[in-house]
Amino acid sequence: MTAVPARSSEWVRPVTSQEPASVIIEIDHVSQVFQTSARKDHVALSDISLSIEEGAFVSILGPSGCGKSTLLYIVGGFVSPTSGAARMKGQAITGPGPDRGPVFQEFALFPWKTVLGNVMYGPRQQGVRAAEAEAQSRALIEMVGLKGFENFYPKELSGGMKQRVALARTLAYHPEVLLMDEPFGALDAHTRTRLQNDLLNIWERDRKTVLFVTHSVDEAVFLSDKVVMMSKSPGRIREVIDIDLPRPRRRNELLLDPRYQKYVVDIERMFDESDEAGPAS
Amino acid sequence: MLACIGLLAVWQVASLVLKNDSFPTAIEAIRAIPDILGDKESLINILASLRRMALGFCVAVLVSIPLGLLMGRSRSVAAFFNPLLMVIYPVPKAALMPIIMLWLGVGDVTKTLVIFLGVSLPVIYHSFEGAKAVEEKMLWSGAAMGLSPAQRLVRIVLPAALPEILTGCRTGLVLALITMITSEMIARQSGAGNILFNALDMGQYDTVFAMIIIVGAMGICFDAIFERVRARLVRWSEPQFDLPLSFS
Repeated sequence: MTAVPARSSEWVRPVTSQEPASVIIEIDHVSQVFQTSARKDHVALSDISLSIEEGAFVSILGPSGCGKSTLLYIVGGFVSPTSGAARMKGQAITGPGPDRGPVFQEFALFPWKTVLGNVMYGPRQQGVRAAEAEAQSRALIEMVGLKGFENFYPKELSGGMKQRVALARTLAYHPEVLLMDEPFGALDAHTRTRLQNDLLNIWERDRKTVLFVTHSVDEAVFLSDKVVMMSKSPGRIREVIDIDLPRPRRRNELLLDPRYQKYVVDIERMFDESDEAGPAS
Repeated sequence: MLACIGLLAVWQVASLVLKNDSFPTAIEAIRAIPDILGDKESLINILASLRRMALGFCVAVLVSIPLGLLMGRSRSVAAFFNPLLMVIYPVPKAALMPIIMLWLGVGDVTKTLVIFLGVSLPVIYHSFEGAKAVEEKMLWSGAAMGLSPAQRLVRIVLPAALPEILTGCRTGLVLALITMITSEMIARQSGAGNILFNALDMGQYDTVFAMIIIVGAMGICFDAIFERVRARLVRWSEPQFDLPLSFS
């Protein structure tokens, strides 16, 4: 079905099951092939295997077109892989579910609902009583820094504010894993930095498992425990790098930290090398 | 409003200059309005028209919105209905009347059915387009919250497509009035269109013009009321909430 180049296995770390108790998501030899209009197969993902530990902040980093978002959608259950399987706590993922909460680059808020209505939507769907859902949602809105905007419609908010609402809306139904698809990609640099800081603050409180797709090296190193580097055509894992930096992380300290700088430089160099090697296949 | 008064003034002057029997002055036409509305027979006729129009419009909207939304979200449903609708769309619905009259007579059913057909197509089309344009990620967000496909259709696709759907309904409302009058012109038995054409046959030109004003005014009123309802329902999608609306 899929033409997987033999070389791909060199780059893939074997799925280690040394700590089976702490692994929450397993991606097991996943490939994704799309049919393009010219009836040619486009291999978006080629034989991806990856384990994600519970409570880890894992970034998937790669150039556009490497299939990193597709990988996230497979974990979300929004897309079925052509071959292989993704598992959540040992259960095969067959569709979306409230245990995996997505946050999209496009925000995807419900424009006919107010900020409060958006955040309450998930809990209400889960059967939480209105008064309780509202109290929780108001607290979350405050946590993401939008107190006073509860009755605004998405149309009236800036991009950064919309993404804060989207994050609160997803956190509101208590997913075990956050799936963030280039969440800050549509924001300007300043807003992006602020949201990274705030996300880190929120995350360091309860340490939910996060799968975070990005093409920004700084962002990946700053936020993550682990960076999964992907290369494109076909999309495959190039390297998995543990980011051994102390937490809680503060941007002003981290930017001056030589270890942080080394991670960024090393990762950028590795991407450069693979670019020079030319497209695989 | 100023433009309306201007139009009446031009009409008045033009008819005074032309002095044609079949072109009454604006004042004569307006004087005839209370006569029509005061006449029990005419009033029953107009109300019968409105009842058919309301029924045809409501049934059409209730059938067309779900159909359009399903077509927008399901490739197979769209593939089934689309060719059919493409064929029916450009056909003037009044042209179908002879056949329908032949089958169902000249009564209420025929006329209501024609109104139904006239309203359905724009509503289906706009619901279809609206549903197609709904952002995939919005549906995914709903799916992650645990909404079933049916719930997503009703609770995400429907509200997200509502601005587009209501645009279709507004077109449908105007078409309902048009097909109402047309159907009554063809199947002359009762209704506002019947009064109009009877008056024409009998050379009561002031009544003819008065009826045109009445029908026109009805159209403007319905559209204005609908526009108010629409603006309220989709306030969230308007670029600016306090934008002065037409007709208000």
